[in-house]
Amino acid sequence: MSSSSVYPTPINAFKQSKRSVLSVIVDNEPGILARIVGLFSGRGYNIEALNVTVVDIKNNLSRITIETLGEEKVISQIIAQLEKLVPVHSATNLANLSESYEAEICLVKIEFKNEEQDQKILNFSDIYRSRTVQKRQNIVVYEISGTSERINKFLDDLNTIGGIKVELVRSGPIGLGI
Amino acid sequence: MDNENEFTGADILLKALKEQEVDTIFGYPGGAVLPIYDAIFGQNFLKHVLVRQEAGAVHAAEGYARSSGKVGVLLVTSGPGVTNVVTGLTDALMDSIPIVCISGQVPSHLIGTDAFQECDTTGITRPCTKHNYLVKDVSKLSETIHEAFKIASSGRPGPVLIDIPKDVQFAKSKYIPKKEINFREHRIKAGSKNVDKNFVQELVNHIKNSERPIFYVGGGCLNSGPQASQELIKLVNKTNIPITTTLHGLGCFPGEDKSSLGMLGMHGNYEANLAMNKCDLMINVGARFDDRVTGRLDAFSPDSIKFHIDIDQSSINKNVKVDFHTNTDITQTLKEINTFIESNKIELEKKDYSNWWGQINDWRKKECLHYEQGDEVIKPQHAISRLYELTNKIDTFITTEVGQHQMWAAQYYKFSKPNRWITSGGLGTMGFGMPAAVGAQMANPDSLVIDVAGEASFLMNIQEIATAVQYKLPIKIFILNNEYMGMVRQWQELLHGSRYSESYVDALPDFKKLAESFNAIGVRAKNVSELDDVINEMVSIDRPVIADIWVDKKENCFPMIPSGAAHHEMLLSKYDKENPENQEKGKVLV
Repeated sequence: MSSSSVYPTPINAFKQSKRSVLSVIVDNEPGILARIVGLFSGRGYNIEALNVTVVDIKNNLSRITIETLGEEKVISQIIAQLEKLVPVHSATNLANLSESYEAEICLVKIEFKNEEQDQKILNFSDIYRSRTVQKRQNIVVYEISGTSERINKFLDDLNTIGGIKVELVRSGPIGLGI
Repeated sequence: MDNENEFTGADILLKALKEQEVDTIFGYPGGAVLPIYDAIFGQNFLKHVLVRQEAGAVHAAEGYARSSGKVGVLLVTSGPGVTNVVTGLTDALMDSIPIVCISGQVPSHLIGTDAFQECDTTGITRPCTKHNYLVKDVSKLSETIHEAFKIASSGRPGPVLIDIPKDVQFAKSKYIPKKEINFREHRIKAGSKNVDKNFVQELVNHIKNSERPIFYVGGGCLNSGPQASQELIKLVNKTNIPITTTLHGLGCFPGEDKSSLGMLGMHGNYEANLAMNKCDLMINVGARFDDRVTGRLDAFSPDSIKFHIDIDQSSINKNVKVDFHTNTDITQTLKEINTFIESNKIELEKKDYSNWWGQINDWRKKECLHYEQGDEVIKPQHAISRLYELTNKIDTFITTEVGQHQMWAAQYYKFSKPNRWITSGGLGTMGFGMPAAVGAQMANPDSLVIDVAGEASFLMNIQEIATAVQYKLPIKIFILNNEYMGMVRQWQELLHGSRYSESYVDALPDFKKLAESFNAIGVRAKNVSELDDVINEMVSIDRPVIADIWVDKKENCFPMIPSGAAHHEMLLSKYDKENPENQEKGKVLV
């Protein structure tokens, strides 16, 4: 049914959608996050991950990093819509910069039952150079950072170990143009 | 002891409104705005117009703004007061109308406690305003109000709301005048100041080389100010390029001029839509490729190079990909184009596009707006034509409600100046026209203001007739009464097998008696022989008038591009049959 629509809907666009990370500098004022989240939900765009923190106390600025999916045309429209919001200074698609750096942080709590599992976990932790935050008898907590892709791979590898229980939290990607 | 340089929040608001040269405010009092109403009581620069429901205030502010080019201002109380203006704020956002809405809020310490008449005003209005504020600190109030006016009127205009808790209206602070405020550029978003020279040069080159160019002009041209229209007229006359306007562009170029193809789009002229379909160069001046205009996108003007002038960056490449664009003010851009043509002595006269005009004149021969007026029943098209003929010597402002009558007004009333045509396009708000007429008449006390209405729309904000009577506003309500929600009925006939589900407006009031009960004047025309006399009588009465014009109940609005069809697949009359495949697809659209 969507092919008969006169409206170019983002749902259509997902067919050729790719992942983009947008970096948005905003005035840190009440309601700004609601404005941005409302814009995404109201216009049918997708938020895969979201990160907000004050980055400049003197000038009262926050940086919001949003991971989204959409074809190039949709991403351009999202940026244009973001830049229309009054408290927004700039919105940048990191992919459009000549050079940019991206990182994400993840905390993983793993409960294991036996020595063999522990050894496998330790092995992956070595390979990915994750940092041990806490280790007790049958629980280990790692902190791993890097690109989202790297973290995904680490988690995929962990999942190949049967019988362990994994709980995790991710910051979502953050990025900076260089 | 009170510092004499300090004022209450309510007084600061009034000082700021005075400095912004606001002379009229539309509003309705309530508990959370009483301090402001108290301040209004003791002054005389600001005329307060008491509406009968807050929806009336917001549409009146829109009518005021559209007809005057100034910012419209309204004042409402918390809770239901402000939820009643949500439709109007959305309407103003869709149609880019600069308004500032002041709303009262429960005292700061009660926010979040579900207090009486409390609602999350900034939360509710966030998606339907250009920007909104909750002012919790009275020392920020002056700056907030001045910034609100700046944001409402800069770049692509729109509605701005300022929510002021009651304790902030009482609290005291210094007043900061506009000139002492440092407006931050990123918040105002006024568009680029410098016209893109490359764009101008590319455009002129393309004009020189094109065979079938067309101007496609929208409401942005209106919002850029009356000078934009002057520059547009100059450019069209210089280039001899045909011009079509959107619903909101009507009046930016004289409708009777030979270069005008009239309105385009769903109920636009055949020649305008065909010219859009076949052109090789499209120059979009402040229009946004709305779905009512483009029809089916994959068949929209397939062979043209497209130029787009729009101050709103997000309008570029949103629905239709363009080849060249600029985000500068239209007046400045058109001026630059005219100057470029003059200073480079570019000879465009030789390029008279005679083949193109020949083709357009062939399309014109279809007489897409033709209708047959018999001896008895008034055709709605005829009613508008006669209204135009009998009022076009007077400076007339036309507002409308939404539906068939709106489209007939757009088709048969010819506008020669900008800001004379005030209609709800984007949102399509029934009940818009009457309060908008109140606003337009307040802004233009010596002009004739007519609300072309349908009986169903008129009933949606009928209470505002009392406002018109109270302030002696001689607005005219010209009802094309067909006892149906006409456009709904038309779609049901064309797409739903004539099953007229709930579109008959039963139990209508006697509009003549209704007018009399409000102390207005009621007149009525039942057949064509009475029409001219009734229009003349209506115009001559210096009081609010409701004219009940009984028109053909089954008349449909043509020409029409059915939803999902392309420009060249227009239906010209009820005898044209729609491609059944399109019909099935069109049914799911709006």
